[in-house]
Amino acid sequence: MTKQEIVDVIKKNIADNLDDIDVKDIDPTKSMKDYGANSLDIIEVVSCSMRDLDIRIPRSELADIGNIDQLADKFLENIGKK
Amino acid sequence: MADSKATNYSLADFHFNDSKDVLAAPADFEAWMAHPDVKQAFAFFFQQFLAAPKANTEILSGVDGKRRRIVNLTSYNYLGLATHPEVLQAVKDAVDQYGLSASGAPLVSGTTDLHVKFARMLAEFKQKEDCLLFSSGYGGNVGAIQGIMRKGDVVIMDEKGHKSLVDGVTLSGARLVTFAHNDMNDLEAKLEAHKGKRRLIVVEGVYSMDGDLVKLPEVAALSEKHGAPIFLDEAHSSLMFGAGGRGVGEHFGIEHKVGISYGTLSKSFGGVGGFICGNAGLLRYMRGYASAWNFSCAPSPAVVGGLIKALEIATRDSSLRDKLWANTKYFKDRLTTMGLNIGHSESQVIPIIVGNSGELLFKMAGEMQLAGLFLQPVDYPAVPAHARRYRISMSSQLTKEDLDMALNIIEDVVAKGLKKSGIDYMSIKP
Repeated sequence: MTKQEIVDVIKKNIADNLDDIDVKDIDPTKSMKDYGANSLDIIEVVSCSMRDLDIRIPRSELADIGNIDQLADKFLENIGKK
Repeated sequence: MADSKATNYSLADFHFNDSKDVLAAPADFEAWMAHPDVKQAFAFFFQQFLAAPKANTEILSGVDGKRRRIVNLTSYNYLGLATHPEVLQAVKDAVDQYGLSASGAPLVSGTTDLHVKFARMLAEFKQKEDCLLFSSGYGGNVGAIQGIMRKGDVVIMDEKGHKSLVDGVTLSGARLVTFAHNDMNDLEAKLEAHKGKRRLIVVEGVYSMDGDLVKLPEVAALSEKHGAPIFLDEAHSSLMFGAGGRGVGEHFGIEHKVGISYGTLSKSFGGVGGFICGNAGLLRYMRGYASAWNFSCAPSPAVVGGLIKALEIATRDSSLRDKLWANTKYFKDRLTTMGLNIGHSESQVIPIIVGNSGELLFKMAGEMQLAGLFLQPVDYPAVPAHARRYRISMSSQLTKEDLDMALNIIEDVVAKGLKKSGIDYMSIKP
């Protein structure tokens, strides 16, 4: 799986979980908070994305991630390791 | 579990259940729970109290399975009212007259004259027009928010708001918008961003994991400027803050600027349940729509009988809260002298911040308990992963001997343990 495919999964889940956001408007260098996500929204997006990608990373290891691109990198490291 | 250690996982990681059998727990959750390190951490949960939650009591230890006398720094019995002899007598009297259960929802058959009396007392105490009593503290917040807010509305809440407040918003269908903890610029930005909508600002008097206070005067100014009323959760401040014990609203001298005042009855009050106080029209409306009130059995009349006495005791003079604050000051001064990180606590809730090591957190908690101190660890996700901690609930019941014993154990185990660990714990933000 490529990083772009992972970014696309995250974008789709952001669009599914937040109001008034279109996939094409999401910039991976930004944080989900920039799109109005609260902590519950972020948990939902991360959980749905991990489920779609069949990975499981402890939430405690994601605390320092600052934007969507960094989240995709972390996901990429864990593909196939569940 | 890929490359991560079992203790890096938490209950935050198993929300989704992919088992085909909906009546089965997730397979990896079962494997996680069976891991020896996780079992050791969970040994701290569900430990049995073998006597009342007093300052000195006895538990069946989860650490070694033995009965043990302990000094208790964890229970919420802040003012000792859960075990006050006058309160217990009032409970006995109420049981004799009314029995154990209200045996019905408040609208139908669950309202006794005790419920009416206590609700009136609380409304008067909080200087509001009316009061609703809930059977649980969690239910009080869920019911209140769900009863007030609707789809299309916006709840603007401090990011450290309690789970019950968050769940209330989810159930209401309103949009949840959080602002950075006690950050007034962020609160104003969020108020601006949702201009034109029905907005409610939700804050807590004392934040339960940090012990710091809401910046209520600043919140009140923004509330007025933007026309968004305040819902103030005084779970950890009622009966303790303010000259009359009415809470943080009174402490800041602006309780009239609080739209809805919420409180729990299980902490300083020493019983169980929750309540909200507010204007009579809104509460009359909420009696039809706050489901946690409308569709729950009314609080046990025996408990309400005890709570009436608890409120009388806590308001007839300031002796209990004076003792609580004297104990709090003594304890904090000593913890600070030991060089421990107690965050920005301004209350009887005192964190000792340990850092990101779950292993160290649970190891030292076990050592403290074996030495006779019951001080429970607070792990992620209840607090940030970088700031795992112990959370002291100070009580007016603790004697100087109890406090000194607890402090000696904390010094021997935590202060020395942290210094030895090499962790830069003083720079950790709560």
